Amino acid sequence: MPSIEVNQLQKTFQSKRKAAGLAGSMRALFRPEYNSIEAVRRLSFQMEAGELLGFIGPNGAGKSTTIKMLTGILHPTAGDAKVLGFVPWKDRQKLAYHIGTVFGQRPQLWYHLPAVDTFLLFGKIFEMDDRETKKRIAFLSEAFEIQDLLETPVRKLSLGQRMRCEVAASLLHRPKLILLDEPSIGLDVVAKQHIRDAIKTMAQEENVGVLLTSHDAGDLEALCRRVIIINHGQIVYEDKVSNLKRKFLTRKLVEVRYAEEVPVDFSLEGVEILKVGHYGVKLRFDTTKTPVDAVMSHLSEAGELVDITVADPPLEEVIAKIYEQARRAETQA
Amino acid sequence: MKKVAKYWFIFQTTLVNSLAYPGELIGRSLMIIPFMWIFFQLWKVTFDASGSDVINGLTLRDTLWYLMMAETIELGRPQLARTISENIKDGSIAYLLNKPYDFMLYQLSNAMGETIFRAFFNAIFGGVTVWFLVGAPAHPEGFIIALPAILGAWVLHFCVNAMIGLLAFGLEDVSAFTWIYQKLAFIFGGLLVPLDFYPQWLQVISKAMPFASTVYGPSRLFVSPTLELFVNVMLLQIIWIVILGFCLTLMYRRGLTQLTVNGG
Repeated sequence: MPSIEVNQLQKTFQSKRKAAGLAGSMRALFRPEYNSIEAVRRLSFQMEAGELLGFIGPNGAGKSTTIKMLTGILHPTAGDAKVLGFVPWKDRQKLAYHIGTVFGQRPQLWYHLPAVDTFLLFGKIFEMDDRETKKRIAFLSEAFEIQDLLETPVRKLSLGQRMRCEVAASLLHRPKLILLDEPSIGLDVVAKQHIRDAIKTMAQEENVGVLLTSHDAGDLEALCRRVIIINHGQIVYEDKVSNLKRKFLTRKLVEVRYAEEVPVDFSLEGVEILKVGHYGVKLRFDTTKTPVDAVMSHLSEAGELVDITVADPPLEEVIAKIYEQARRAETQA
Repeated sequence: MKKVAKYWFIFQTTLVNSLAYPGELIGRSLMIIPFMWIFFQLWKVTFDASGSDVINGLTLRDTLWYLMMAETIELGRPQLARTISENIKDGSIAYLLNKPYDFMLYQLSNAMGETIFRAFFNAIFGGVTVWFLVGAPAHPEGFIIALPAILGAWVLHFCVNAMIGLLAFGLEDVSAFTWIYQKLAFIFGGLLVPLDFYPQWLQVISKAMPFASTVYGPSRLFVSPTLELFVNVMLLQIIWIVILGFCLTLMYRRGLTQLTVNGG
């Protein structure tokens, strides 16, 4: 059974419109005008039990609104959704026993209390036995390496430490599904890696489904097998992460170093030379237009190679390209 | 059992949380001392001018102890409407709504947890001041008898405040309504002047309103702890809690469908 089924889900917000200045404010007071904002537009997708699904898009794409509808906080304007067999906005409390949530920008741990107090409180709220709660806290504190942090008031923790505690708290009641909304926002590289590793391990060990929203492509690469990219409340791309890479990571960046000075007239059709130095060259080419072996043999013929690096462009660039294509298609339509 | 235990634990957690900054908690409670001193000066002049030791059944000592209790209830109660409004403005409502509890009972447990220590310190500082100014209360046992009414007053405060807070589901900022409520409670609740000192017609109107059950009822019971008054105060409180609790439930259900969450 799929853990999430979304069918033609829609959410429209009414936003008050107000012209600039005092006159505009007075007009808005007596004759308010509203703009309809379609945050989510006829969204349909499925997520299988235990799946790691990335739900990504730029700011304002409708990611968080979708998550909030899937947890039952927001009522949709139209459409249906089922999460673990429940209609979220009708069975919000029943569903809450089976899901965990982390909203990266909003803390759920009590700010002035040590994290362990919130863990114990959540244990009570989720109606767990005291012994089971303590056992679970011990297990999660080891998995997330937070043993030394649990008794420190949350306000004294760094953002990275706090986020590890936040994610661990969301897993306390053994949810079947966790919805992570921007869990790595604002974290440094090391803290991000820490969080990703812990989530991945927990998801694999406990077969927890993970729906992850992020605008960080690194989260997606590290955690998810499948990705849905949304923009303006609609799906613009849906596929496996590996396919996404294969289809869109066709441009390669190559950097080589020679034992001697390279010829100044170094050139090859279909290859863009980015930088030429005395002993090295940096170039970019599209594998669908110029075969890799042609580039490689040309490079090795030019002189004695001492070093070579081949890199994919960052996934951010790929996603930006997908947004751009979607935008162009929308403009043409 | 576990379903009830969670609310008790929420109450306990808030209680502990309210002690996070004890200096602030105590400092804020000290404000009751000048309030009581000013009340003493005002009412002493009034009683002297009247030439009588008793006005409408209350002595100066009763009046001061009445006002101490009224202020303790008012200053101790949590600013729930503001809390709900802030939860909506900063988007943290998203976390509060996706847990397996009744949101309103969660807020009630929370509100009670925040109230206890604040009220305790207000009662201590206010009580010591009034004791020093006019002597011990005429009926010390009044405190025990008034206790259920004090708790009832906070529940009633909770109902009204939660309704104002829920307006934030649509309006976001509700400070104007909390201001109006507070002023109505001042006048019709008997926070500055015991309702007994009002003209008869205004007493009838004031006592028929829920504000009287939030301040006047428990404070008056504290200074005149009779069985008859206890029954009257409690009965009136229960009626208002049922009516306002029902309105609150309706409003909450309606509010949920209109909720928008800030910050995506």
